[in-house]
Amino acid sequence: MSTATAPAPLSVRGDREPALVRLGLRPDRWDYLVALAGNPNTGKSTVFNALTGLRQHTGNWPGKTVTRAEGVFANEGKRVKVVDLPGTYSLQAGSMDEEVARDFLLFGRPDVTVVVVDATRVERNLNLVLQVLEITDRVVICLNLMDEAKRHGVALDPAALEAELGVPVVPTVARRGLGIQALLQAVHRVATGEVETTPYRIQRHAPEVEGAIGELEPLVRDAFPRMANARWVALRLLSGDEQVEEAIADGTLGEEEGGSDIVASEPREALQHAASELRWRLPADFHDRLTEGIFRAAERIAEASRGGGTTRARATFDRTLDRLLTSKWTGFPLMLALLAVVFWLTIAGSNVPSGMLADLLIGRVHPLLLGVGEALSFPWWLSGFLFDGVYLATAWVISVMLPPMAIFFPLFTLLEDFGYLPRVAFNLDAMFRRAGAHGKQALTMCMGFGCNAAGVVATRVIDSPRERLVAIITNNFSLCNGRWPTQILIAAIFIGALAPAHLAGLVSAGAVVSVALLGVFFVFLTSWGLSRTVLKGEASTFSLELPPYRPPDILRTLYTSMIDRTLIVLWRAVVFAIPAGAVIWLMSNIGVGGASLAEHAVGFLDGPGLLIGLNGVILLAYVVAIPANEIVIPTILMLTVMVHPELANLGAGTGVMFELDSLQAVGDMLGVAGWSLLTGVNLMLFSLLHNPCSTTIYTIYKETGSRKWTAVASLLPLVMGIVTCFLVAQVWRLLAGA
Amino acid sequence: MSEPALALLIFFAGVLAAALVLWPRRGILPRILTLFHMSERVRIEDALKHIHNAEYGGRPLTADALAGVLEVTRARAVRLVSLLEERGLARLEERGVTLTEEGRAYALRVLRTHRLWERYLADRTGVPPADWHPDAELREHTLSAAEAEALSARLGHPRYDPHGDPIPTARGEMPPMAGVPLAALAPGDVAEIAHVEDEPAEVYDRLLEAGLHPQVRIRMLEAEGGRIRFQAAGREHALEPVVAAGVTVEPLEPSAAPDPSVTTLATVRQGESARVVGLSRACRGPQRRRLLDLGVVPGTRISARLTAAGGDPVAYEIRGALIALRREQAEWIRVRPESGAEEAA
Repeated sequence: MSTATAPAPLSVRGDREPALVRLGLRPDRWDYLVALAGNPNTGKSTVFNALTGLRQHTGNWPGKTVTRAEGVFANEGKRVKVVDLPGTYSLQAGSMDEEVARDFLLFGRPDVTVVVVDATRVERNLNLVLQVLEITDRVVICLNLMDEAKRHGVALDPAALEAELGVPVVPTVARRGLGIQALLQAVHRVATGEVETTPYRIQRHAPEVEGAIGELEPLVRDAFPRMANARWVALRLLSGDEQVEEAIADGTLGEEEGGSDIVASEPREALQHAASELRWRLPADFHDRLTEGIFRAAERIAEASRGGGTTRARATFDRTLDRLLTSKWTGFPLMLALLAVVFWLTIAGSNVPSGMLADLLIGRVHPLLLGVGEALSFPWWLSGFLFDGVYLATAWVISVMLPPMAIFFPLFTLLEDFGYLPRVAFNLDAMFRRAGAHGKQALTMCMGFGCNAAGVVATRVIDSPRERLVAIITNNFSLCNGRWPTQILIAAIFIGALAPAHLAGLVSAGAVVSVALLGVFFVFLTSWGLSRTVLKGEASTFSLELPPYRPPDILRTLYTSMIDRTLIVLWRAVVFAIPAGAVIWLMSNIGVGGASLAEHAVGFLDGPGLLIGLNGVILLAYVVAIPANEIVIPTILMLTVMVHPELANLGAGTGVMFELDSLQAVGDMLGVAGWSLLTGVNLMLFSLLHNPCSTTIYTIYKETGSRKWTAVASLLPLVMGIVTCFLVAQVWRLLAGA
Repeated sequence: MSEPALALLIFFAGVLAAALVLWPRRGILPRILTLFHMSERVRIEDALKHIHNAEYGGRPLTADALAGVLEVTRARAVRLVSLLEERGLARLEERGVTLTEEGRAYALRVLRTHRLWERYLADRTGVPPADWHPDAELREHTLSAAEAEALSARLGHPRYDPHGDPIPTARGEMPPMAGVPLAALAPGDVAEIAHVEDEPAEVYDRLLEAGLHPQVRIRMLEAEGGRIRFQAAGREHALEPVVAAGVTVEPLEPSAAPDPSVTTLATVRQGESARVVGLSRACRGPQRRRLLDLGVVPGTRISARLTAAGGDPVAYEIRGALIALRREQAEWIRVRPESGAEEAA
């Protein structure tokens, strides 16, 4: 229920509530509702943050906000609710994003719509502005990125633009908070009706179109006498806009402003009938002509509001940098060098903190907790369950996962903010195009090396439905940081041992890199296969905007990438690790018929495990470690000790995960347990090719909203892993036996 | 035989068996499903549709010709025609089979569903053009009238299918056939493609390859002899008469001739500029809307700025923004190159 007390027009009108609820907005306390619209990459999210103080992740990327963000703040004694709409180039409802933005403006009826305009590319942005002005009168233009416009020599006269558009225009530099106060005042004045707007509306379309509008507009007025934007409604009817048609059929469009007039159904039917007749008279390229008309107007308005001063097209610095970063000779080497630096910093930089965290959480806090349990005289099963099961699994995940992510994500975000990543997508697009994918997938793939769940979230920047699904489904083939430790350990024990001692390190590192490259190969192979089979029918578009370079704001980047990526992913991982720890401990400690559940399971899985060159322990470890790849190795060690009583002196107790300090000790232990070189190789392959962890599966479900694609993304790699391991095992044994 | 070899053998046998059963269109399961679909109703609907198309083109179908287009024996076609007569859907007359009022309404309903579905595939999905027609052939029999109406609303009540054929309205209205066959043009005549026939598939594939779509302007060069030569989309085409028969055109005034200076954006080299003349019809659906919204409309000035290290895409400056387009997209954009030096960098 709305509890707003302010007088009209500030109060939330009762009739608007159902529409807002339908749009997924909670009608809680606010005095007026502000929608934030704008092209992608205009700094819309930055404006949103500047207004609300919220830290929504912003990057130098077209197409960042896909889900809608909301925030509430106080201004001049009023509670203002801001809704950040998806960044769109238009309101034609041609894509999911456009539909969300358009529906909100049309049916949510915000009190003020702020359109954020990129001052460096006004003409293109005006396409959206003019479309918004057709729907609603109460608009404020936020002319953002004024600093960039200045740097690029684009001179603009905000007052002239205001005169042309007939709505307030406020120049801002949202990154530095400049102009935000003026923007708030303008919003307040428009919301309270202190400022009357006279929005510019395109009056002259092509003659045939004008004729049809002329015939339809009076009918719209007949059916909805209080309709403010009858002309626009007529136009949308002629375009066959499904939502507008429906709203006319069920009368929701007529509820506007009070909803007291119950609209008779005959004029509405007459209106729809007339629209369908008139459609036959329109030219076939009707939609094209409308856009042409909008851009003609945009061009004129942009010309009229051009200020004095220098007008150089693009800064020379940007051009030189672009040439360097995209040239055939320097583009790829620079890219590889940068990537190598990022990975090196991540691996080298996280070693020490990882060790320290492990030492602290597992070496010190764990015994401490056990001591506390003892002091409070917990029964053995309670402290075992809580501290050996739940706590230990969580501690393991945190110490392995946190440091690399805390380094990798901020570095990545810095490159993103600067504007380099779109150039990487640009350079690599040719490769991905051949596999039926989008160049931006190069970046989501790289993110996957940090964490697959983060990689899946990152696919939001891919605005084409088919290519986005391809990127989501194949992200799991990027070896995430939870799987690197497994690869490194097994390679050192089994493959490094094959080489002479002084080369062992190099050879095992080579083996790990080969597995990662094999993963990249599978990304391309699967992308190619998917886009030609199951995803063939999904719609596909390509466009890649290369934004101007922007000096990154290092402190803000550190802060937002920590909050948005690292902590959210870590939180999800911890939530999933807790039950995993519990299950592992319980399985090991609950016995049936003289053996624990885990021993039964290992015995059961040993047959299929050996068939694909693994064993029952590894398979069980992968089953219970679905929540997090980080605990696979500790679980394998614990289970190995459990099913091999001769190793009992090595373990830390039934159901307690552990790691051994020396490679030699682990190698000896696995040797006793019957592992061979084949087991090692296949474990490395299976670690690359198996189902995503449950955090990632959950994220895939959230991002796609589809059970079907979640199932495909989860099962496809598993099936590929089983088949690959099976084939390798059989061929290996054939050759070894021959 | 050793154990691993046996395991491999069983595995590959299993894969082979699965492929035999599930392979799209040729596998055992799809074949069974197709047989299942081939009910009497489907045969009747197909026959009605072909009879209607022949009537619409002004050349009623004989039972023989019907057997040909339906790919059934002559005896079966004759049985089918008598079935249609029994149900009051068609009459066998001297000049061929003609539809009754009821038969025509039925045929138009099937046609409407077929063409709506093609439009849907073209505008809202990534299904390749060669698959539109075969897919619609199945859907026209399974979609209910209510579903077809919902589809029409969702697509914004389209009037033409992607081949240029009008879609009958829900009340069965359809404009009369327009245009003349391509071969009827005299050398030097200018015309616009009105319709591209999607059957048989071999002919349609050839036309797709040649880039011939509705609304492409052509200028006839030579219609005599074994080949029909004409200019369209910036280059010269030569088609055999049997392929050319799939193209219907609308003659235009000679002044509307395609401008020889018009080329595609793909030919504009780095550092050069051009002005947009139009977008090809082959660019449709979300892709077309996106290009329009980025400001690719007639009159827009586009400069090629950067080529990716991989050779493709190319980044173009479009209304102040740097936008990368793939070669395939650049080929959709018809432009007139602008002379004059690049502005000082």
